[in-house]
Amino acid sequence: MLKGFGNFLLKELKELVRDPKILLGMIIVPLIMFPVLGAVMNFSVQTVQEQAAKASLLVLNNDGGNWSEVLISSLNVSLRVFVVNDTSPEDVLAQDLLTAHNTTQFAEIPLGFSENLTARMQGNLNVRGRLNFYSVFSGTSLFASVGSSMVDYLVSEFNRQLAPDVVGTGKSTIINGKIQKDVDPAMLSSLMISQAIAMPITIMILLTYSMQIAATSVAMEKEEKTLETVLTLPMDRFAILMGKLSGSIVVAALGAVAYMIGFNYYMSSITGAIPTATSIDLVSLGLVPSLFGYFLLGVSLFVTLLSALALAVIMSAFAENVRSAQSLVSYIYPLIFLPSFVLMYLDVNALPVAIKVLIYAIPFSHPIITSKAVIMGDYWTAVLGIVYVSAFTLVIMYVASRLFATEKILTAKLRFRGLRRRKQVPSEELQ
Amino acid sequence: MNIAVEASDLIKDFGSLRALDKLGFKMESGEIFGLIGPNGAGKTTALRVFSTLLLPTSGYVRIFGLDVVNDADEVRKIITYLPEEAGAYPNLSGWEYLEFMAKFVVKDKDEVRKTVNEAAAICGLGERLKDRAKVYSKGMKRRLLVARALMTKPKLAILDEPTSGLDVLHSYHVREIIKRYVKEQGVTVLLSSHNMLEVEHLCDRVALLSKGKIVAEGSPQYLKQKFGSANLEEVFAKVVGLA
Repeated sequence: MLKGFGNFLLKELKELVRDPKILLGMIIVPLIMFPVLGAVMNFSVQTVQEQAAKASLLVLNNDGGNWSEVLISSLNVSLRVFVVNDTSPEDVLAQDLLTAHNTTQFAEIPLGFSENLTARMQGNLNVRGRLNFYSVFSGTSLFASVGSSMVDYLVSEFNRQLAPDVVGTGKSTIINGKIQKDVDPAMLSSLMISQAIAMPITIMILLTYSMQIAATSVAMEKEEKTLETVLTLPMDRFAILMGKLSGSIVVAALGAVAYMIGFNYYMSSITGAIPTATSIDLVSLGLVPSLFGYFLLGVSLFVTLLSALALAVIMSAFAENVRSAQSLVSYIYPLIFLPSFVLMYLDVNALPVAIKVLIYAIPFSHPIITSKAVIMGDYWTAVLGIVYVSAFTLVIMYVASRLFATEKILTAKLRFRGLRRRKQVPSEELQ
Repeated sequence: MNIAVEASDLIKDFGSLRALDKLGFKMESGEIFGLIGPNGAGKTTALRVFSTLLLPTSGYVRIFGLDVVNDADEVRKIITYLPEEAGAYPNLSGWEYLEFMAKFVVKDKDEVRKTVNEAAAICGLGERLKDRAKVYSKGMKRRLLVARALMTKPKLAILDEPTSGLDVLHSYHVREIIKRYVKEQGVTVLLSSHNMLEVEHLCDRVALLSKGKIVAEGSPQYLKQKFGSANLEEVFAKVVGLA
């Protein structure tokens, strides 16, 4: 039964494990990448939670009765509460009271609150108190709904002390300076997250696929020695580089479109099966990118793709064959996965400064940041991101073009001297 | 005498390793010149310098008066290079591959067709040119690539081990192609080989290479007479002190 299997397996394992590129790319990189990713997520979540714990709430006490004072005391247990009297929600925005109190949320205790509660306590079950909660929507984040949840919790605690359902909450969201009545910030946030997941996943698939395509294409030319042939042809060597990059972009773009169609179907299959308690129309809320926003997103994606491909071409120039090239480009993957996973659930502006700088420094973060920024109409963030990635791409393209212009494209090899038992002679060049 | 290739004091270092050590020789136009030597002698490195792929550390190479470093773009217009054990693009047909290569040299559509027809005649692959290169045997692939190197009638064809890895019949066919083409078109050929017996029958003159240096040079007949040997293998063994 399976004669020779053990012997063959042993040979195979020796071959694979002794290849330093495979050892690094397949085993050591993931072993380092995921703990680092976990540490970054953990640190970010802790920081956001600490910020949430210190959250403040502006309360508009338009009632002025006894029960409103009791409710404010309950809210004060877990939130830093600032009280202003006789102010409408519209006045809060007009007078910029949120900025003045360094908060992004406020609650209104409307006139008649105490009267209703007193009536309810005397047995009139038809009336109840109402607390109107408003929160500013500033971007997609797992923690965007923390304030809303906390108010829910504090009101339910208040009700538990007093009577079931004695106070109900109404929720509204402030989007781009406008109050959107009855749009629950928590529901909006979860809806936006489910939408926002698509971009990081697309970025991961698109960049890793296209980098593999570009690296394989260059390595195959080296392996088959067709690169040597074309380098001796009367043609511009930069044209070889651009031809390789353009070909990879076209194939990667087709792949991305096919992927997005499939992924869209997958998402709609899931969301279509789940009954929705409320319908939030993102278009009417202005939470879809404008035409200009889509344009910026497209440009951001394009320059990022170009930088990734140029990087893959450079990496594969150091490979001797297709397998080595694919292992080499996998060293870049942590730089793609890290921002994708972090930005999938967190808002970049809510991250600790060190991680924020790291995320902004990685070029592959920018299409994801742009996709969130254009929804909020923040075009400057998108434009600055494009400028940064374009500058990075130009540097990479310059290095790649220098590599193609010299003999380095044929002779460059990445050596792992420390991992090799013996120093190897570059025999290929000596024949 | 019309000098086709002139190399002088050519040195090529890879780090601390000297691959070419003051290599120098001249080639006449219309000649088939062979660089011969064992594996690791520096043949491929020399041909890569001549074909503008590698830069010499010092010394110079001129091809029809053009310097391979300073006039590299001009040199590429008059040479073709066939790397050792090169492949074709596996998903292109033989015909598409030849067309792709021809378009870099000739611009006119009719000229491209004429050039590819020429290549088809040289390689003799006939209808098989419509098949993708990935289904070609090693011999068919080599014939395709040799035809590619000759079809544009370059002033100098640089062929690295043109019959490497081929069986007797395919080797014979490729050698015949080279001989016939040089005779008919007046192309100058610089080739390398470690098969000294084969080179005897193909080259007008040869240079024996050992450790990056030329240890003997001349026509096969002259070298055999000079060293009193029956063939070039014996000549080489005597020159490097093995016999």
